[in-house]
Amino acid sequence: MRSLRTMVAAGAAGALMLALTACGSSSSSSSSSASSNGLVPAGVQTPTSESLTGGKKGGTLNVQQTEDYEHLDPGQSYFALDYDVMDASQRSLYSYKPNTFSLATPDMAEGPAEIGDANKLITIKVRKGVHFSPPVNREVTAADAAYALQRVANPNVANPYYPGYLNAIEGMKTSKGGPIPGIKALDKYTLQIKLTEPQAAIVVASLVLPYSAPVPEDYAKKFDAMKPSEYGNHQVATGPYMLKANAEGKVLGIGYQPGKSATLVRNPNWSASTDFRPAYLDQINVSIGGDPNVIGRQVLEGSHMVQTDTPASPVLKLAYQQHKSQLQISPGAGSRYITVNNSTGPFTNVNLRKAFWAATNREALDKLRGGKLVTDIQTHYLWTGIPGFEEAGGYPGPKVDYNENLQGDMKVAEKYMKLAGYSSGKYTGSETLQVVGDSSAPANNVAEATNQTLKTLGFKTKLNLVEHTVMYSKYCGVVSEKIDVCPNVGWVADFGDPQAVLDVPFNGELIAKNGTNSNYGLVNHPKINKAMDEAAKVVGEKARGEAWAKVDRELVEEAVAVPYEWGKQPSIESKDVSGVGQLWNTGIWDLSYTSLK
Amino acid sequence: MGVGAAELYTGVGGLELGDGGEEIAARSPLALFWRRFRKDRVAMVSLGFVVFLVIVAFAAPLIVKILGLSGPYVQNLNLSDEFGSPLGPSGAHPFGVDQLGHDVMSRVIYGTRVSLEVGILGTAIATIIGVTLGTIAGYYRGWVDTLLARAVDVVLSIPILLLGLGIGAACAVRGCLGGAVSPGTSVIIFLIMLVNWTIVFRIVRGLVLSLREREFVDATRALGASDARIMFRELLPNLIAPVIVYATLLIPLNILLEASLSFLGVGVRPPTASWGQMIAAATPIFNTAWWYMTFPGIALLLTVLAFNLLGDGLRDALNPRTAR
Repeated sequence: MRSLRTMVAAGAAGALMLALTACGSSSSSSSSSASSNGLVPAGVQTPTSESLTGGKKGGTLNVQQTEDYEHLDPGQSYFALDYDVMDASQRSLYSYKPNTFSLATPDMAEGPAEIGDANKLITIKVRKGVHFSPPVNREVTAADAAYALQRVANPNVANPYYPGYLNAIEGMKTSKGGPIPGIKALDKYTLQIKLTEPQAAIVVASLVLPYSAPVPEDYAKKFDAMKPSEYGNHQVATGPYMLKANAEGKVLGIGYQPGKSATLVRNPNWSASTDFRPAYLDQINVSIGGDPNVIGRQVLEGSHMVQTDTPASPVLKLAYQQHKSQLQISPGAGSRYITVNNSTGPFTNVNLRKAFWAATNREALDKLRGGKLVTDIQTHYLWTGIPGFEEAGGYPGPKVDYNENLQGDMKVAEKYMKLAGYSSGKYTGSETLQVVGDSSAPANNVAEATNQTLKTLGFKTKLNLVEHTVMYSKYCGVVSEKIDVCPNVGWVADFGDPQAVLDVPFNGELIAKNGTNSNYGLVNHPKINKAMDEAAKVVGEKARGEAWAKVDRELVEEAVAVPYEWGKQPSIESKDVSGVGQLWNTGIWDLSYTSLK
Repeated sequence: MGVGAAELYTGVGGLELGDGGEEIAARSPLALFWRRFRKDRVAMVSLGFVVFLVIVAFAAPLIVKILGLSGPYVQNLNLSDEFGSPLGPSGAHPFGVDQLGHDVMSRVIYGTRVSLEVGILGTAIATIIGVTLGTIAGYYRGWVDTLLARAVDVVLSIPILLLGLGIGAACAVRGCLGGAVSPGTSVIIFLIMLVNWTIVFRIVRGLVLSLREREFVDATRALGASDARIMFRELLPNLIAPVIVYATLLIPLNILLEASLSFLGVGVRPPTASWGQMIAAATPIFNTAWWYMTFPGIALLLTVLAFNLLGDGLRDALNPRTAR
C-alpha cells in the first residue's frame, strides 16, 4: 500500500509513523473465499500464525521491491521499507516481535521502563554486552541511547515526527540537537528521561521506534554536523545484520546504491545471546526497481525470493488463486478515509458531513482497492489490535444511522441534507468543491467514485488527480490550500497505542499551519481536542483504550471524516522461503526471522 | 517516401485526354483532384472511416442510446469480481467495463470526440498561424523573416512532453496565470498549436519564397496591388494544396500527442473519456482486464492509420508526380 506508507512520509511534520497492529486474524479461519472482518482466508499465511522458531540457518535471501528506501538512518526513518532494514540492523530500546503489535519486548533495554514521579520520570537500564559493528566495535552504553534520542531534534537529522511523542521531555521543545537536560546517562548502563508533563506512557510507547536505537556520539557527531546528516551513509549496526560497508564504515555505494540495490550482511559483532532475533540468513540482497507485475511473477515462480512492497493487483489475484501458500495477509495495516474540510466551506455543517458519510458506498470503495481479501470495511477510526477498538464499536462500529448501510443509503443522506437546510435533499450552494486525489491506481478510482457521490448529493466539484506525494505535500497536507475533499488519505500508527492512531490526524491543536499538516480534514472541535488531551494522560492499556474509544465515538458523532478501509496488507514469497511477516509493520517480511526452506 | 514542399505545388488547372484520345476535356483543379483521389481505394476507405468517426463524434449520445449502452459516466461499482477486477465483454457491455463499472464501449465512442476535437481543432489553429506567419516571412524576407525564423528555432527547442508534464504538475489544482492555464483539453490544444505552427510555417515560407519570384506576382504588383492582396489573394490559393496535405498528416500526430499527454496525466480530466487516459488506466490491470486497453487502443490505431492514409491519398491526388 504505497500510498498509505508514503502518507506517513508526508504526514511527517505532526508526528507519527509506521504501523503496528495486532491480531484479529487467525489461521483457523476457514472461509472459502476472501473473507472480511480481520479474517484471513484458509491456506493464506498471516503473521500471527507463522512460526518464529525452527528456521533453517544459512543462505541468501533475494528481496525484490519496486520502491526505494527513503531514509536509512534510525533517527530519520518513518517508511515501512526503511523500518524493515532498521529492525534487522538497529536495535531500538524496545521492539515488537513479528507477531504482535501490542506487546513490546525489551531489546537494547534490559527490561521494562521504570516510571516514577507521577509519570514524569522514566528510567531504563541498557543491555550489557551489545557491541556496535565495525569500525566502532565498542560496547553500547546508555550515553549512546541518550545521544540517539537527542539527535532527533538536530535540524540536520530532521526527524519529522518526534515532537508528537517526545516533546514532553524536559528541554526537548527548544532543543536543536545538543545535550537535552531531560535525557541523561546516569551511568554506563542507566538512561534517565525527565518529563515536564505526566506523559510517560506515550514516551515509553514510542521507544519502539528506530530513533531510540543507540548511536555512538564519538563516531556519529561529525556526520551529524553535516546538513543533512550523513550518518545514515556511514551507520554502524547493533542488530544481527548491517548494511555492507567498507573499512571506514561507509555504506553509500557499497551496501546501498540508491534506486538500485542494498546488501545486508551479518554484523560480526552481534551476539545471539543478547538478542531475541534468530537471524537465520547469511545475507540479504535487495533489488530495487522494476515492474511490479514482473517482480511479483518472478517471486511466485522463482526461488529464494520475497517481495517487500505491495504486489500488483493481477499478481495478488494470481497468488490467491494459484499460489495461496505463498501469500500472506496482515490485518490491521492502517486505515483510509475521505477527509472533508471541517474548518471552511460547506462541510463545516455537521449534517452535510453525515449526509456524505451516509451516501458513500464503502463496500464499493473497498472493492476498488482489491476487495475483501485486502480490506475490511471501516466503520470508525481505531482499528483492530489497537486498544479501544472493541470499546469503540469493533467491526460493526457505532450504531448511528449514517454508519449502518455499508453500500450507502441515499434516504439517510437525504434526511441529513434536509437537516442541513437543503429541503430538496440536494445541495444547492453555488461553490465548487476542490477534490484532490491520488492519480495512481487504485486510489484514482476511489477518488472518481467519491467525486460521483458528491455530485449525486448535488455538489459541484472539480476533481484533480495528482501524484501521491504531491497530493500530501502540496494540497491535502497544506492548510492554506483549503482543499474541500481528499478521498485518498490514510493513516498508519507508529505503534500500538490509540493515541498514535487518533491524535495527529484529528486533534485540532496539532494542525500545522506551516509545513506539512497531517490533520488533513482540519478537524478542530474543542470538545474533541479536550477529550484527547485528557486521554493522553491516562496510563495503562485498558484505561487508555477506554479513554481513546470515547474519543473515537465523539469523532464518529461529528462525522469528521468518512472512513472506508481498514487495510489488510498482502505480501508474497517464493515457495522455498519460510517467510515471517511483521504484524507491526504492515506485514512486511521480517529479515531477522525469515529463512530458506 | 518524403515529399518536398515544392513537389506538392500543383499549378492551377489542366487538360486531360479522353480515354480514346478522341476528345480533350478541360477540368478544374478540383475535378482533377477528385478524379485521381477516388481511384485510390485505400484513401477512399480512409476517408470513409474519417467521416464515420466524425459522425460518431457528433452523434455519440444518440449512438450510445441506440446501442442500449450505459453512458460513459455511469458508474456501476457492482460490475467487478471479488478482487475488484472489472468484468469482461458481455451482451450488455460488448467491450466490457472498467474498474468503476463504466461501459468501455460508451467511453470509446465518447473518446472519439476528444481525439477529433484536439486533433482537428489543434491542427486548424496551428495551420492558420503557420500559414499567416509563413506567408509574411516568405514574402517580406529580411528582418521579419529572420525574427520569425529564430522564433521557430526557439519553439522547436522546447521539449513539448516535458512542458506538458510541467504544466500538469504546476497547474493541476488551482491552475496557473490566475486559473487561465490548467490541465485539460485547452492546454493540449495550446501545446499542439505551439509545436505545429512551426512545421506549417517552414513549409509555407519556403513555398512563398519561391512563388514571390513568379511572373504572376510581378504582374499583380505592377497593377498596384497591395502587399496584403498579393499575399492572401494571389499567393495563398497556391498554398492550399500542400497545406491541406500537411495538415491532414499532422492530425494523427496530434491525436497521438493528446493520447500521450492524457496517458501521462496531463490531458483531459476524469471522468471525461479519452483514449489515452483509458490506456493509461488499463496499464496496471492489463493482465486481468485485456479489454480495457485493447478497445481504446484499436480505436486509436485505426484513427491514426486512417488519417495517415488519407493524407497520403491527398498528397498523391494533389500532386500526380509523386508515387507510392
